[in-house]
Amino acid sequence: MSRAPRINPERFAPVPVEQPPGPLRAFVALMLPPVLMGLMLLGLYAWTRWNLPPHRQFLMPSAGDLWAQALSRPEVLAELWNRSLVTITIAVTGLCVSIPLGMAIGIVMFRFHVMERAVFPYLVALQSIPILAIIPLIQSALGFGFMPKVLIVALFTFFAFPTTLLLGLKSLDRGILNLFRLQGASWWAMLWKAGLPSAAPALFAGFRISTGMAIIGAVTSELFFLAGKGGLGQMLINAKTDFKYEQMYAALIASSALSITVYLVFTWAGNRLFASWHESAARRG
Amino acid sequence: MSTASSPAAALSFDKVSMQYPDGTLALDGVDLRIAAGEFVSVVGPSGCGKSTLLKLASGLETHTGGEIWVDRSNLGYTFQDATLLPWRTVLPNVELLMELRGVPAAERRRIAMDQIELVGLKGFENHYPKRLSGGMRMRAALARSLALNPGVFMFDEPFGALDEITRERLIDELIALYLRKGFTGLFITHSIPEAVYLSSRVVVMSRRPGRIIAEFDIPFAWPRTPELRYDPEFTRLAGEVSVALRRAIEE
Repeated sequence: MSRAPRINPERFAPVPVEQPPGPLRAFVALMLPPVLMGLMLLGLYAWTRWNLPPHRQFLMPSAGDLWAQALSRPEVLAELWNRSLVTITIAVTGLCVSIPLGMAIGIVMFRFHVMERAVFPYLVALQSIPILAIIPLIQSALGFGFMPKVLIVALFTFFAFPTTLLLGLKSLDRGILNLFRLQGASWWAMLWKAGLPSAAPALFAGFRISTGMAIIGAVTSELFFLAGKGGLGQMLINAKTDFKYEQMYAALIASSALSITVYLVFTWAGNRLFASWHESAARRG
Repeated sequence: MSTASSPAAALSFDKVSMQYPDGTLALDGVDLRIAAGEFVSVVGPSGCGKSTLLKLASGLETHTGGEIWVDRSNLGYTFQDATLLPWRTVLPNVELLMELRGVPAAERRRIAMDQIELVGLKGFENHYPKRLSGGMRMRAALARSLALNPGVFMFDEPFGALDEITRERLIDELIALYLRKGFTGLFITHSIPEAVYLSSRVVVMSRRPGRIIAEFDIPFAWPRTPELRYDPEFTRLAGEVSVALRRAIEE
């Protein structure tokens, strides 16, 4: 039988409580890393441009040129604004197709397990199709109007809705399900009062990703459709054709800004909607 | 309702068996008769099928042999956790069961407010479950069932996850509710003192396949006070139940 080892107590001194940093220092600690990173990226851009032979420097316009040729000109700004509206219209209309359709398919798959078995593999297959590659096909079949672009956006964004919704519905707490069953509640009552609210945060995460994708889808679709009144994607192509690279960069910045804005709005709205009850939506410190 | 086999019983099991599709026999010939207004606790070794017994009584699962007589029209039921809807505050949570039964909104609200006051949650109507303690969540769950004015109230180890102090307080509150509302209680627990303190009768189940192997009438007067827990007679009865339970595990 082994005995317990001899005990040698060590002294542990108290450690005074650290003062929390002031608001200014906290702000600097929060903002400094991304700002520094941004400055470094701009430096990398400038350095790369400086190293280009002069006849290729048009590929990377300087800040001065970008301002002088694009961002300071009212007619360019007006064009950016109008074309952004067109892009947003395409994206929103596409989402108006993919959201109800995707949600309906998610609900049907949840209701009938056999439908999940039947449909889910094809959803995954649809996701694996390079949508860029079938845009010419859509163009040949449906022409150059508004609807083909909407279809492309719908294809880009569709996948997230049935899958996130199904996942959310399936993770409904078993006890809550039994609570409803004990009252003899109808399947619709369960869906409406338990399933959908419970799945809402997961679905919302899908929204947040898909709406950003919708902007990308709308811009991409227009790269192939140069007829008619187009959005930012058309401006990108037109500016390239006319060698107005400053305007092309301006359109690029505008489309990124749209995607980021959509993402931020949905993040903010998600926090507002779910922070009071859902763990994952709670603000991180 | 015709209760030809047992006119006085509020709930009765007649040679009830339960076999799962894989062949496992969970319950084997359970006979249990609970008179209206009785409060019966079921204790047994873990995995003996006491929760299954409750699921059969409530209709969450169906039995494969024997007969069950039960009035489920205003069934009260608490799960092992509070099972509140996390996206609803306390008031709409308490209203939920009435909502599913189509009780008009104004009446629903009035009844819910009464029950919330009864379980001591007044002032917390607009709190989300996330912001309540475990004991408060369980009180909200009790209020939700009480709102149906249950004739039969079933409890599936409801206080198992709570700390000792909170649990003892909730048991006293549950006894007060039982005396006030007069429902018939069926309480599943693994705590012998809890069962003896709370019940008019304690039933001991065997290991799987579950059968009822002993019953104890608990004669203490209502309402029961915390001092009862240190009464020699209480200790003696709890000891007897404990011996029966140990025999159930070892046999």
